[in-house]
Amino acid sequence: MSAGGEKSFVFFPLGSKRFAFHAEDVTELAKPDRLQVFPHRTGLLAGVLVRRGRIVPVLDVAQILVGPDAPARKFYLIVNRRYSGRQEWTAIPVTGECELANAEPMLPSGKMPSYVTGLLALNNEVVEVVSLEKLLSEGGTA
Amino acid sequence: MRPQLPSTPKGAREDVIVFTVGGFRFAIAANAVSEIRGLEDLRRFSIGTSYLRTAQVDFTVERNGTVYFVVDAARHFRLPPSKPTRVLILRQTTAAIQVDSTDRMMEISVLHALPQAFSGDERNWYRGLAVMNGDVVPVVNHNAFLSKAEMAVLKSAVQRVKGAAAV
Repeated sequence: MSAGGEKSFVFFPLGSKRFAFHAEDVTELAKPDRLQVFPHRTGLLAGVLVRRGRIVPVLDVAQILVGPDAPARKFYLIVNRRYSGRQEWTAIPVTGECELANAEPMLPSGKMPSYVTGLLALNNEVVEVVSLEKLLSEGGTA
Repeated sequence: MRPQLPSTPKGAREDVIVFTVGGFRFAIAANAVSEIRGLEDLRRFSIGTSYLRTAQVDFTVERNGTVYFVVDAARHFRLPPSKPTRVLILRQTTAAIQVDSTDRMMEISVLHALPQAFSGDERNWYRGLAVMNGDVVPVVNHNAFLSKAEMAVLKSAVQRVKGAAAV
């Protein structure tokens, strides 16, 4: 079943699998940068980047999406998160180049995790559309 | 894919003291510290196991007739045991912090808010983040090392000990 016409998505790889975010949530793909760490107690949070004078938290969602054996992440996908009227950049480490494309999402089946909000059928591949907020609430970091 | 700017950092110029714990650098407002001293004169302190949170206080130090409770900063930040060599005596409270070393005083011009993505204890630990020569350094909340309730428990324990010693 379709989830309402063609939309823009950013496809990002984590190892051999690809996932997608809605394009309107994505700001840019950034080159590798120096990850800086300091003590904290938030799950999935790997550290921060300094980008254009701003401090950007890095959330390593690969641990949830593909498990602990995800290959080394090479780039950062910068996404906008919304917090009660505020927006904040968050960097998501990904393992390779990303792609912007239009596709018509299908509704996920009942067996999918709740953070999968749609499925995109592309040639021989089915890509899960991920809701970052739902994924983080499942990971206990919302 | 249109960039949207997050809120801009705010704050005035502020002097901070940079210190290290467990290999991490932190900063504390210079006007929150009354004295930096060595570990001499520390007295071992224990009130038993009934109040676990105070397990991060092993020592007291007395200065000018006031007893200060020395918080182990490594335990406060949930770090592995470290090798403290300095104690920062705080102003306007009877807490002190045991740290590995103190570095230098620096002036920061911008205190960045802790990103909202941080949702754990660190929201209480830090006032914000400073960038020093490209390095991100958390600026600690000096009021978070001991809460008023913890302080009250500790002070009453000291009174009990003093009372028992007087009998």
